[in-house]
Amino acid sequence: MSRIRKGAGAVVLSCALFGGLAAPLSAEVTGQLTVALAAESTTMDPAKYSAGVDQYFIGTMFETLVKPMPDGTLANWLAESWSVDETNPDKPIIDVHIRPGVTFHNGDPLTSADYEFAYQRQSDPSVSRWSHFQANVERFEIVDDLHFRLHFKKPDSSYVSNYLQLWAMPKKYFEEVGDEGFGKHPVGTGPWKFVSRKVKEELKLEAYDGYWNQDHRPAVKELTVKIIPEDLTRVAALQTGEVDWIDNVPPAMLADVKALDGVSTATMPAGNHLFLDMDTIPEGPLQKTKVRQAIAHGIDMDAIIESVLFGQGERYAEVAKGATGYVPELKPFDYDPAKAMKLLAEAGYPKGFDINCYNLITPREPNMKEMGEAMFAYLGTIGVRCKVVNLEYGAWINLGRRDEKTDQLNGGLLSWMWGQGVPADPAIAWGGHLHSYQPGHGWGSYSHVDDPEFDRMIEDVNATMNPEARAEKLQAIARRKHELVLGGLTTYQPLVTMAWHDDKVSYNPWPYPGFWRNFQEIGLKGSD
Amino acid sequence: MTRFVLRRVGQGLFSILGASVIIFIITRLSGDPVVLMLPPEAPDALVAQMRERLGLDLPIWQQYLMFLRDALTGDFGTSYRWEMPVRELILERLPATVYLACAALIFSLMLSIPFGVLSAVRRGSWFDRFAKGVAMLGQAMPNFWVGLLLIIVFAIGLEWLPAYGADTPKHVILPAIALGWYPVAAQTRIVRSAMLDVLDSDFIRMGRSVGVPEGLLIWKYAFRNAAVPLVTMMGVYFASMLGGAFVVEVVFAWPGLGRTVVEALFARDFPVVQAGVLFAAIMFVVANLLVDLSYGLIDPRIRHDR
Repeated sequence: MSRIRKGAGAVVLSCALFGGLAAPLSAEVTGQLTVALAAESTTMDPAKYSAGVDQYFIGTMFETLVKPMPDGTLANWLAESWSVDETNPDKPIIDVHIRPGVTFHNGDPLTSADYEFAYQRQSDPSVSRWSHFQANVERFEIVDDLHFRLHFKKPDSSYVSNYLQLWAMPKKYFEEVGDEGFGKHPVGTGPWKFVSRKVKEELKLEAYDGYWNQDHRPAVKELTVKIIPEDLTRVAALQTGEVDWIDNVPPAMLADVKALDGVSTATMPAGNHLFLDMDTIPEGPLQKTKVRQAIAHGIDMDAIIESVLFGQGERYAEVAKGATGYVPELKPFDYDPAKAMKLLAEAGYPKGFDINCYNLITPREPNMKEMGEAMFAYLGTIGVRCKVVNLEYGAWINLGRRDEKTDQLNGGLLSWMWGQGVPADPAIAWGGHLHSYQPGHGWGSYSHVDDPEFDRMIEDVNATMNPEARAEKLQAIARRKHELVLGGLTTYQPLVTMAWHDDKVSYNPWPYPGFWRNFQEIGLKGSD
Repeated sequence: MTRFVLRRVGQGLFSILGASVIIFIITRLSGDPVVLMLPPEAPDALVAQMRERLGLDLPIWQQYLMFLRDALTGDFGTSYRWEMPVRELILERLPATVYLACAALIFSLMLSIPFGVLSAVRRGSWFDRFAKGVAMLGQAMPNFWVGLLLIIVFAIGLEWLPAYGADTPKHVILPAIALGWYPVAAQTRIVRSAMLDVLDSDFIRMGRSVGVPEGLLIWKYAFRNAAVPLVTMMGVYFASMLGGAFVVEVVFAWPGLGRTVVEALFARDFPVVQAGVLFAAIMFVVANLLVDLSYGLIDPRIRHDR
């Protein structure tokens, strides 16, 4: 039997360690702040969560059982404690004790019945776009009001790596207002409660007085979230004082924004991991390891990041620092064109070769189109002559996705990315683009690799619920992946910079950079 | 007159129907929306299930007939992306776009009418050259660029006007200028050229000879006669402003329809794109119908019942 217990001590320790970062709550918070985001959530219903952008709004009002802390570790949040019971390793059980005293914004207490309701909604494919993440749960058992168990059909590590999956959703309130009513006026347990929303304009929130975590909560009463998609306009709104805080300072304007009087900035990696995917399925040069290694050494990523992204990118080798499976000794490939040309010659391509290189031109990450163009241009200098094919977002997604009939990439290179939360656990993403394509099983839906050993390793890690054992297995995959340059050449993580008026705003991107838009700790200067 | 109106309404309905067929087919040629809606690792079975739920597995003609049937009852379906009724999404955004287009049209007329009339009256003068220059400047600069310049000068530099949003009447000024400056050149040229023709007419010379005051002659008699081509132009530009406000809406974070539809296009949100294009087609047809009907009011010689 393997039993992992995550005690309440973790969150207490986190509070002790990081409690000093933000302004503590005064007896009664007052005041108002206006922030501006470049994009907005499409839904405010956690069960309908479809993409990372939905986290922006949902994360302000709703909470998960566990949450990543500033040091990257997972701390118990709405779970007071939880454990994985692997008495029967083929049918593990996750046992959760809910934190007592947590209430929804309407005053209802959080109970196991709410989690059962959340499980039912999140596993219903007509409601949730992530219902497959609940597919391995056999049944939900309520032990008592604050204690429940999830019985699994088979081991599923994604449950652990995705913050125990379930959002706290109020069953009683939902039954009163219905699906549409809940979407229009959501009620959660988070630090902010919903006031109003105008799609494509603004979201108005109010600090929840009854919030359970008095050490880490907003220090301002009202928060207005404006949506300003245009970069210059967002920066202008900060400059004119129309807004107090902005996200996504464009790389080209970063130096100007940093030079503004009374403005502070914070920069941190975004959730997306960019990589250059290589189609190794059809007969062709990319099947050869030395060709893939040549490509890895043929691109000066540091120079490209500096010149195209104004330094707003951070290189990573297979797994980003701080994430599960990170291998400290793995370093990004160095730029060595002579070595790259030698490897190409050894692989039988002394004069290089022509290849299709697919690039995304729709804005998705800052200057992504230009980054792709620069990488492909570098490859030309070592003899990998790209015929660049530009794609808009929908065509790009369609090209990457495998289907039973064709491998549409047809031996080409594709500028691609993955993101699975922050800090990002790579297991699910690797299941999609490193495991071979297996129709009907969910494996390799974006894969251009066919390697039985990786298939075995990935299936093994996805069935390992013990966090420590998972980390070791992920590291083994990362090492092999790096050596063979399979599943794509990892390039960089975009860095995101936010800026605010430091004479007015007290702000910490807490608890973890990926959740900075949840405004867990933001307040008015002087209110503390 | 009634026959004319009925004929034009019939033609308009035919145009709207045509637009709906074209946009329906084009959206479906643009790719599969389901792979954009689901996470990358979603199993094939889930993809197929989602397609079936959205009716995308049906033959396209069947999908179109269902769309038409629902649209006739005012139901445009549910947005794939926003999971809310499309009618609600469109109708919430539409007033903002109409408001912006109206403000932009008013701005363009406020410049082009005096510029055109006075340029014709003072042909070859410094004012004629100045007006031409200002008008051409608007046509030479793309409206997103004009928008950004306006923000830099009037929001950041002078701090006179807000940089974004739609909360107060002040918020519409900069977007209206950015959107309305472009047609000023063409409208000025139309007014100037029409005025030059009219000013050469016998009735103007007659009016002058009997001592009608110059201002009255120009603004009441000459301009009214010169206004018909401008009204035609206005109809076309107003309709194109409704459809083309997207860039300005993005620059000024204006909560309009254009931004919603273009974002829906990128997300393959078929119901929103279809409804957005249909609404734009309806507005285009209505604007042109109103222009046709207004001819008779401006120039009594034009009678549709003759």
